[in-house]
Amino acid sequence: MQNAALLPIAPELVLLIGMLGVVTSAVLLGRDRREWGLIAGVALAVAAILAVMQWLLLGGEPGTLHYSARGLSIMRAPMVVMDAYSAFAGVAIFSLGLLGLLAAWDLVETLGDRGAEFVALLLLAVAGLHGMAMSSNLVLLFLSLETASISFYVMAGFTRDRIDADEAALKYFLLGSLASAVFVYGIALSFAAIGSTTIYGAGGIRDFFSNTIVTERGVLLVGIVMIIVGLGFKVSAAPFHQWAPDVYQGAPGGAVGLMAAGVKLAGFIAIGRVLAAGFAAQIDQWASIIAIVAGISVILGTSLAAVQTDVKRLLAYSGVAHAGYILTAVTAGIFGISAMLFYVTTYAAMLLGAFVIAGVVTGPREGPSSFVQWAGLRTRSPELAMAMAVLLLGLGGIPFTAGFVGKIQVFTAAASAGYLWLVVLALVTTVIGLYFYLKVIKVMFIDPVADGVGPIEASTTARTVFAVAVGVTILFGLAPWPLLDIVRDALPL
Amino acid sequence: MTLTAGWFMGLAAVLFALGGAGVLLRRNALVMFMSIELMLNAVNLTFVAASKALGQVEGQVATLFVIVVAAAEVTVGLAIIVAIFHRRASADVDEFAELRG
Repeated sequence: MQNAALLPIAPELVLLIGMLGVVTSAVLLGRDRREWGLIAGVALAVAAILAVMQWLLLGGEPGTLHYSARGLSIMRAPMVVMDAYSAFAGVAIFSLGLLGLLAAWDLVETLGDRGAEFVALLLLAVAGLHGMAMSSNLVLLFLSLETASISFYVMAGFTRDRIDADEAALKYFLLGSLASAVFVYGIALSFAAIGSTTIYGAGGIRDFFSNTIVTERGVLLVGIVMIIVGLGFKVSAAPFHQWAPDVYQGAPGGAVGLMAAGVKLAGFIAIGRVLAAGFAAQIDQWASIIAIVAGISVILGTSLAAVQTDVKRLLAYSGVAHAGYILTAVTAGIFGISAMLFYVTTYAAMLLGAFVIAGVVTGPREGPSSFVQWAGLRTRSPELAMAMAVLLLGLGGIPFTAGFVGKIQVFTAAASAGYLWLVVLALVTTVIGLYFYLKVIKVMFIDPVADGVGPIEASTTARTVFAVAVGVTILFGLAPWPLLDIVRDALPL
Repeated sequence: MTLTAGWFMGLAAVLFALGGAGVLLRRNALVMFMSIELMLNAVNLTFVAASKALGQVEGQVATLFVIVVAAAEVTVGLAIIVAIFHRRASADVDEFAELRG
């Protein structure tokens, strides 16, 4: 296994080399965007292949490969852990990153020389997102989270000529930093109570819970709550969601898809790792908090999404509700992880697809995307209208879409954990949620076209992204078993 | 009376609460940002105090990382705030209400 010593962090290394390659090619060699776009695409593809290799090496079993500066084998305190969970997360995150790069390409083409910075930041953000999935140390998790978040703050404000873009960047930055501070204070308090920030290994958090009686109960509980608040903010669960609508609406249309979907994907994977694996012994303490957050999220997300007149704000509020649905699975602890992974991967694909279409309809540099601009999309571009309709139905959870299968999975997990009230609540809000998804479909298919707008032509890159998203929605709706088999094995150590 | 780690952690909790109150109550983007820095330094104090009490160096190492993250946040945050200030000659967050719905 000596050859595998670098494999756990190989995807990140490839992405960082790719990032340097992009900057070198653009700044030092003065090449055009075609070349550095290719470098970034290859880096993301290689990272995804390396994640597949990690998965194959572990044989789909929960693995035991640790990595730390001191080498391989069982570490006293491994910083990074490579298990089936992080390998699956790698495949999902790097594929999403590749789609996100394609989705952002329309935007990059309008940015001129600054496009290289954008692509470099995108690679850095994706590396941070996967770092969140593989961190075995809470401080490293914080660092990865910040690597991704700070990159996204910059990307949110990238079109500085628009007044609402820097407003979105400022709101994202201030509230994001606040959440990060709360999150790291939670880590500090749990360190004070436990004496370790590492999850696995001798003397780690799991070791502590199995061998020691917790004396600092109060400090530990406050620490766990603050960790939940910090991560809940990143995945925009209510009541920590206030930033999401403004940021999604103000950020450039080409960038927002990856920002939204990537942070949700990695955020939930980190929640799974920290709570279901790290603080597994404390499930009685945190499961009810998660259930309450999930309940508030589905109610607030659904009711606020129903009154929106802007497609991106609607997707943001529906994202709050989806965060609630995904959290219902987390209440089951380790038994809900598979359901959570299925839901969050398919949801990330659908969300990215929907934002790409929004970027095509209202412009890759633009922010707001009001219903007026969507009216009569069927006559302007039947292809876009059909794809958006499928994605919206998938988000709504109509049978024969991936959203439906995902909802069944998470509700089953929550029911088996004994949170029946939460399942009933989530079912009711799912039905109500159909109302606003159908409202957008009605605007696209029935409302008359506004005067003076012509047909829309989607670029090849954007078309690829939403074609994949529609494919995922339908394929895993009709035949979810291959993915269900995979996520059943993709458990954290 | 000896000063135990608990006192330092109590002080850190007070500083953290002050910082949190500053973010929520003050309306100037720069002051809000300074309050977040105060919260991060409260975290550092907690880490160091806990590290000392437990005899573990892990917490002191964490402090260094938090300082680095805070520095990175300053770089990006001040750039955003300065860009906004150039445009509006004000950093009052209540004036930022272009985005709503």
